[in-house]
Amino acid sequence: MLDKHEEKIYENELFKKLSTNVSLREYESIISKQFGKPIWWMLHRVDKNLPITLDDIEQRCEIVSGSYKDEASCLIDLSEAFHRAKKTKKLEYFKCPAGLYGFCYPVVQGRKIYGYIAMCHAGQEIPRVFIDMFTKFIDALVREMQKELQLSKLYETIRPRAIALSTVHTIHRLLTSTLDLDELLPRMARLSLQIVRAHRCSIKLVDKSQRTLLPKVTVDLRKKSVKLKKVKVGMYAPGKAFKNGKVILGKNYMAIPLVDKDVIGVITLYDKVDDSPFNHFDQEIMSTLSEQAVIAINNALLYKDQERMTEGTIKSLAALLDIQAPGRLTPRAPFIKIVLETGKRIRMSQDELKSLEYAYLLHDVGKAILPASVLSKSEKLTGKEYKLIREHPLRGAKIIKPLKALRICAPMILHQRERFDGKGYPDKLKGRKIPLGARIISVVSAFEAMIAKGTYRARKTVDSASEEIKKNSGSQFDPKVVEAFVKVINRRHIRSMLKKEEHGA
Amino acid sequence: MELSKLLKNPDYRKILRFFHENPNSIDTARGVATWTNIDKKKVTLILKKLSDHKLLIAHNVSSTTGYSYTRNKKNMKSIEGLLKG
Repeated sequence: MLDKHEEKIYENELFKKLSTNVSLREYESIISKQFGKPIWWMLHRVDKNLPITLDDIEQRCEIVSGSYKDEASCLIDLSEAFHRAKKTKKLEYFKCPAGLYGFCYPVVQGRKIYGYIAMCHAGQEIPRVFIDMFTKFIDALVREMQKELQLSKLYETIRPRAIALSTVHTIHRLLTSTLDLDELLPRMARLSLQIVRAHRCSIKLVDKSQRTLLPKVTVDLRKKSVKLKKVKVGMYAPGKAFKNGKVILGKNYMAIPLVDKDVIGVITLYDKVDDSPFNHFDQEIMSTLSEQAVIAINNALLYKDQERMTEGTIKSLAALLDIQAPGRLTPRAPFIKIVLETGKRIRMSQDELKSLEYAYLLHDVGKAILPASVLSKSEKLTGKEYKLIREHPLRGAKIIKPLKALRICAPMILHQRERFDGKGYPDKLKGRKIPLGARIISVVSAFEAMIAKGTYRARKTVDSASEEIKKNSGSQFDPKVVEAFVKVINRRHIRSMLKKEEHGA
Repeated sequence: MELSKLLKNPDYRKILRFFHENPNSIDTARGVATWTNIDKKKVTLILKKLSDHKLLIAHNVSSTTGYSYTRNKKNMKSIEGLLKG
């Protein structure tokens, strides 16, 4: 159903199409040849009065032109035919004062008359067969145009919704591409600002007591920094949206609850760029975005929980190893820090650094099955003992592999004894074929062994151990890793930690 | 390149018009290719260039890039003028 405004637009479009339709022009030209240059009228926007004036008749009809009486009489004849057609909704004939013939045909769809096509000035009465052909032709044309217009209207209605749907889909992809809450929430705020064209967005999550909304991120594109404010549940727009689980819409703000099974937080937007109030479309799209946001937030929280669990498992495993051989199978804290800072210098990602940390914590796990006598032996190892020692990366990787969360650490543990020149073990990998994490572990574990563990040889000072590492850069160790490592151990806070290790603290 | 020069290219014009008419939209190259009926490879290059010129905002993540319309009022006004012209 069309409203009045839409009907007017539709009528205009329909007559625009009719007046420019090539087939109709051709048809008119055929009739014109047969019946002596008739005059055609396309009449729409017709309410009560015929939209033809005496001037129109004067301009188009040579015969009655100049005689006011004839022009007026012609207008009356045409009007009467138009009124009859309006009443009967069928084609109506008329004869003009000059004795010429014409007809008026209403363009009808259902009960509605959208306008009229009229013809006058024909030299003879138009035979029935021509009229039938004409009306059928017009009806078919109008039906075709009606379909075309309906399709175009449908397209105009669907297109903005399809574009909005596509936006929602893109947002979903952008949000679910991270499991890091610290990355997710600012991204969510910026995307929200973009889709509703607002200046400020704040995301708050409820605390454990369910009494306060804690500010997690606020982005105000007009300011460089913003203050994060806590809000009590039930207070202000975010607090009310949280309490009621419903969108709170104000003139220059909109608070959208993040609803899962319970409400977990609120996204609040302030001040639209064009100063207009938040509208129904903003509410619709933000409600959809909030549903995506809840899924992404929950995924990130679950991932964080899982990460904590993995970390706990690894630390328990490390503690068990430490009980078995105190100080021999697990690294000391400063060396874990050195590993991580070296990784950072080489621009490893957060995820890669996490895996590197886990791999370093457990890089000697394969030694746990060695006899205590071999582990604590300070004299030169026998060939058989040395062979056992060489197997520890392989055994370590085997122990780690079944743990899904640690699978990514296994190659770092397996290849920690490879040498950059390809003379290491177990696979004699060379250069960059050795996983980066393994190349870092190789450097730091050798350094740690020289300073803190001193299992196989006498302990060294930090400087002499560092010199030893540098001496083997390019042969045993990756020069790039060594370069980063040296920079790390020369930093003041690392030096002071290493001093304590040197003195056996 | 100046905005007026960019907009001489009908594909740039079409894509910028899409964002100008749908400022709330955030879409990938594939989506924009659908709405503008331009080859996806071309769209990818144009979107990159328009975001380099700060006429679009690129939202990069590891798996995809979403593009949205500039928030710069001056740029929006210039675009509007050139699209009308």
